[in-house]
Amino acid sequence: MIRFTWLQFRVQATVALAALLAFAVLLAVTGPRLASLYADAIRGCQGAGCANAANTFLSRLTITSPYPAVYEVGVALTLAAPAIIGVFWGAPLIARELDNRTLALAWTQSVTRTRWLMVKLALTGLAAMAVTEALALLRAWWSDPISNAIGRGGPYPFGSVFDQGRLGSFIFATSGITPLGYAAFGFALGTAAGVLIRRVVPAMAVTLAIFAVVQVAIPVWARPHFLPPDRTVVSGPSFFASTAMSVGTLTASIVPGQPEAWILASGPINAAGKPVGAIPNACLVPSAAQKPASPDLGACMASRGIEEAITYQPGGRYWPFQWMETGIFLAAALALACICFWRLGRRRT
Amino acid sequence: MSFVVQADRLGRKYGRRWALRDCTLAIPEGKVVGLVGPNGAGKTTLLHLAVGLLAPTSGSVTVLGASPADGAAQLGRVGFVAQDTPVYPRLSVAQHLRMGEYLNPGWDRQLARSRVEQLGLDLRQRAGTLSGGQRAQLALTLAIAKRPSCLILDEPVASLDPLARREFLRSLMEIVATDEISVVLSSHLIADLERVCDYLVVLVASRVQIAGEVSDLLSSHYRLCGPRRDARGLPASQRVIEESHTDKQSTFLVRTSDPVLDPAWAIRPVTLDDLVIAYMSREVPGERPDRPRLKVMS
Repeated sequence: MIRFTWLQFRVQATVALAALLAFAVLLAVTGPRLASLYADAIRGCQGAGCANAANTFLSRLTITSPYPAVYEVGVALTLAAPAIIGVFWGAPLIARELDNRTLALAWTQSVTRTRWLMVKLALTGLAAMAVTEALALLRAWWSDPISNAIGRGGPYPFGSVFDQGRLGSFIFATSGITPLGYAAFGFALGTAAGVLIRRVVPAMAVTLAIFAVVQVAIPVWARPHFLPPDRTVVSGPSFFASTAMSVGTLTASIVPGQPEAWILASGPINAAGKPVGAIPNACLVPSAAQKPASPDLGACMASRGIEEAITYQPGGRYWPFQWMETGIFLAAALALACICFWRLGRRRT
Repeated sequence: MSFVVQADRLGRKYGRRWALRDCTLAIPEGKVVGLVGPNGAGKTTLLHLAVGLLAPTSGSVTVLGASPADGAAQLGRVGFVAQDTPVYPRLSVAQHLRMGEYLNPGWDRQLARSRVEQLGLDLRQRAGTLSGGQRAQLALTLAIAKRPSCLILDEPVASLDPLARREFLRSLMEIVATDEISVVLSSHLIADLERVCDYLVVLVASRVQIAGEVSDLLSSHYRLCGPRRDARGLPASQRVIEESHTDKQSTFLVRTSDPVLDPAWAIRPVTLDDLVIAYMSREVPGERPDRPRLKVMS
């Protein structure tokens, strides 16, 4: 059954390996240069100087180099791989057999239906996980200098491609072990959709739609609550003066001393602990409005007892969160596989 | 006597509709059995239950004395060719043979190869581009090269042109002639069965109307023509299967094990065609009246 599964799967497997290889070549060509740039940037730095050196490295990288593009391609590819696998490996896996009515052929060979489905799901599912994790590992290897720089100096420059720490929505889902969970889930989702809908193309569409919703819903609604977030209040001219504040919304972009923290919510509060909606008029001198987060504004706010409250997940929770999210997706994949077994049972087909 | 297929009050429901209900039959081993009946009689459902593609809703069925698809060994003992002979369109003929080899411990590579050669199939050709007849032959090759003890075919020639149909049935007869193998073959066309079958089962609305050796069936049925008379006037040993009357004449198709002695009758032997049509057109208690009893096939 293993050899037969391979016989049916090898075209798709070859396409995936070719894509993986092309990506690997791209990274191998650009990777070493990026590493040496970073090594040069932080050579001989000490203490706070390293954070600055890291930030300088990142901001230089964004201006003229091709690295942000490669970085984004890596993130996008790793993010999309589980969906692509769900659509092109999962959805047709059984639906095409239903379409061609070849199950009558497959299930009357000397292999029981349970074994047939088990081998098909296990083999293709493991291949899905391997390909996606390989992408993630390649990406992680290549972007190691960038991750290190973010780890030292915090996400920077804000609004650029490097504005996410490793708990950030996209980075978290494309690093560590979460790609394993996403790949298993995407594949199982596609397969189950194919089994339930019984038509290849509609199953593909449904797979893509559901996967996209899940990929958005998890970082927005679920991941922030894996563990109760921490809350801190920071004040003083130094914080307000730091570039970590953007003036329009007065939200924080960094937790002091924790460059890898994932900020869930932030905003100014007054001495009574109530949120402050706007900058007091007295502080809003023209210079402050033009030059964001100027020392004047920070000092003015601080003198009025206004502080910044930040709700965040500490960067140290990366691995607990990785295990939790991977566990959730693997469990979901298993549940979807069970649906396939149930739906393809002899009582129901 | 051992049976290739034995069903006891076998039933299968799809949603709220019974596709097969209370079907009881026993098909002896070592024969080429024709299972004939109108569309919707439950032939496909019965055969799918027999090969284990379906599980019964009620009753039970055994094939070669064992529960269908109950483990790899039982699956290996039963060869199946499904309706319209599905194959994998993207796999080549050679890859289909490899599939058979991978999935069946009893695979006879020699047999598969020689059959494909004999049929003139191109090993590299994708199955999706084969003609209907070639595809059916490939499906038959897959079913017999696993060396089953019984072969079950669900309307394998229904969609073939007359030439391909004849070729296919000839292949089937060759297999039967060389191997000790039981064959169950369903069709709604009597002509297909007449050529290959030595045993016949007529199934109408899940019920077996008649089952028996073709030669016995032919020798125990007569068509009687004579002056008009009522069916009740016939001897008790003659069971009336079909009757038709004009003003002056009556025609009966009767089944009897005794010779017909009444000199008023002109006695004619029946063909298998007559016989099957007669049984298929009989009133069946509980049958839905809205469904046509026979569908004309082009």
